[in-house]
Amino acid sequence: MLNILVCVKQVPDVDLVTMDPETGNLVREGVPSMLNPLDGNALEAAVRVKERYGGAVTVITMGPPAAESALRECLAVGADRAVLVTGRPFGGADTLSTSYVLEAAARMEGRFDLIFCGKESLDGATGQMGPQLAERFGATQITGSLLIDEVDIERGCITARRELEGGTAAVEAQLPCLLTVEKANFPARLPSLKGKMAAKRAQVKVYTENDIDGLDPKRIGVPGSGTVVPEIYPPKLPEPGQMIDEGGVEAGVSKLLELLSAAGAI
Amino acid sequence: MGKSAYKNMWAYIEHDGARAMDVGLELCCELRRLCDRSGDKLLAVVVGSLPDGELQRVKDCGVDGLILVNRDERMEYNTEAYTEIFARLANKYRPSAIFVGGTANGRDFAPRCAVRINTGCTSDAIELEYDEATGDIRFIEPAVGGKIMAVITIPELRPQIGTIRPGTFRYSPAGAREKVKVIDERIELDPASIRSRTLSFAPDSAGPELNIADSEVVVCVGNGLKSADGLDIYRELAALLGGKLGCTRPLVDREILPYRLQIGQSGVMIKPRLYVCFGVSGAVNHTAGVSADTFVAVNRDPQAQIFNYCDYGIVGDMDEVCREMIRQLKARKAQ
Repeated sequence: MLNILVCVKQVPDVDLVTMDPETGNLVREGVPSMLNPLDGNALEAAVRVKERYGGAVTVITMGPPAAESALRECLAVGADRAVLVTGRPFGGADTLSTSYVLEAAARMEGRFDLIFCGKESLDGATGQMGPQLAERFGATQITGSLLIDEVDIERGCITARRELEGGTAAVEAQLPCLLTVEKANFPARLPSLKGKMAAKRAQVKVYTENDIDGLDPKRIGVPGSGTVVPEIYPPKLPEPGQMIDEGGVEAGVSKLLELLSAAGAI
Repeated sequence: MGKSAYKNMWAYIEHDGARAMDVGLELCCELRRLCDRSGDKLLAVVVGSLPDGELQRVKDCGVDGLILVNRDERMEYNTEAYTEIFARLANKYRPSAIFVGGTANGRDFAPRCAVRINTGCTSDAIELEYDEATGDIRFIEPAVGGKIMAVITIPELRPQIGTIRPGTFRYSPAGAREKVKVIDERIELDPASIRSRTLSFAPDSAGPELNIADSEVVVCVGNGLKSADGLDIYRELAALLGGKLGCTRPLVDREILPYRLQIGQSGVMIKPRLYVCFGVSGAVNHTAGVSADTFVAVNRDPQAQIFNYCDYGIVGDMDEVCREMIRQLKARKAQ
């Protein structure tokens, strides 16, 4: 019986976030949130391992109370349990402090043999959470996993393929192991009606800063973060290039090719 | 310990035993500039054996010193080993900053090492500045899908760790210094601490079209593409121009093209001679990844931000313009 953990994040649809040109603040109001797409692939990888070898899948997130909806999405497609870590003091955390809190909260739920994460989040896109969580758990790690060959429960190890520049490596790692997942071979499944109903009824366990054993307040949220963002500004736009308008596609392309030819570009 | 006790900047030189990867050399070139401002020394860290000629190429980038770890040994990449090696080196020498190429392996061990030594880690900065007032590095990068530029600092913890994508900085060796200090470092790891191993490596079977980093000509399609069926003409145009096809993030999200073809800050950084993009909006996280001698943009929206980055722009239907380019290029070739 494998005890499997999937760490997920609710993210804003970054394509819809805008910046207030007057204040320079990000406008997030009305921007829908969703389960980070690669986390859906990570969950799929975890559920497939569960279906093949037996086990239970716990899904965990840290975020505002509304992040519960991302957990219910996961419950609808194969997660058995869900844990929400939420509280004001956790806000503003970078990966250093988020990994600290998630591991401490997960420890309350027992020991895990396998931990899955998406390769990176849509909004932060640092790809740091997986390796940092693996370090916190004292687990081995296989980042950028393309597919899972085998979990050898007797020997206590897992074999998976890792995407590298110019090829793929087969890696064997002892359990517990954390895998960060690429999308290609783990398309998220659609929830069944039964799954949706079960997800609606399921209990989501909630941990606040007061419920996690041994949590050091100096290591959570902003005080526990290694990085800060002292400044944001709108990207400076260069001056526009030469616009080609010859009153038609044929003439425009002809002019373009002439210019490219003169510049030695073609 | 206060942060002033931490001095010097390090660049990690990733290599395969025969050749140093470009990204480590690019880092040395950029950090030379930064160290000249901060007064830090620049040290390159090499793990495992690397031929002298390659070490000379590192020296040519203007480093003040080399830290050669287990230089007589072939050191294959391993997460546990590299995490521990860098943690021990950092604890022993207390550098102010460690820069690591944002390759698959660099992004694997650098964040993990940051947790082991309890410090901050940034990824994918496209600009680096030294702040004299605070002594901190300002890591500047597009954020929130390129809507904003964010300045990230690590104000208290040391060393500052950053991973930087290959191709972000220019390889422009300043020349070797008169004196380059060479530090030989011998690190023995407990075999029991190595709990994973690489069993085999299979080079890409998919073929060279997936490697766009060094392509002279790149044709890029963006979210303006209607469907996967429409890709053929862009492939044809790329072939006619002697180049390769790439894309922006939305096409990877839509599962039309693989991640390896994603151009930009969180994908592949490219430096082609000619770059022609169709239906690309021009978000900074994409344009930050393109450094082209000649940049052509085609978009139906005359207000599209991409026109701010191009040398030549055409407002029009992307498919129509592409087909016309193919027709006229063929006609030119027939002449």
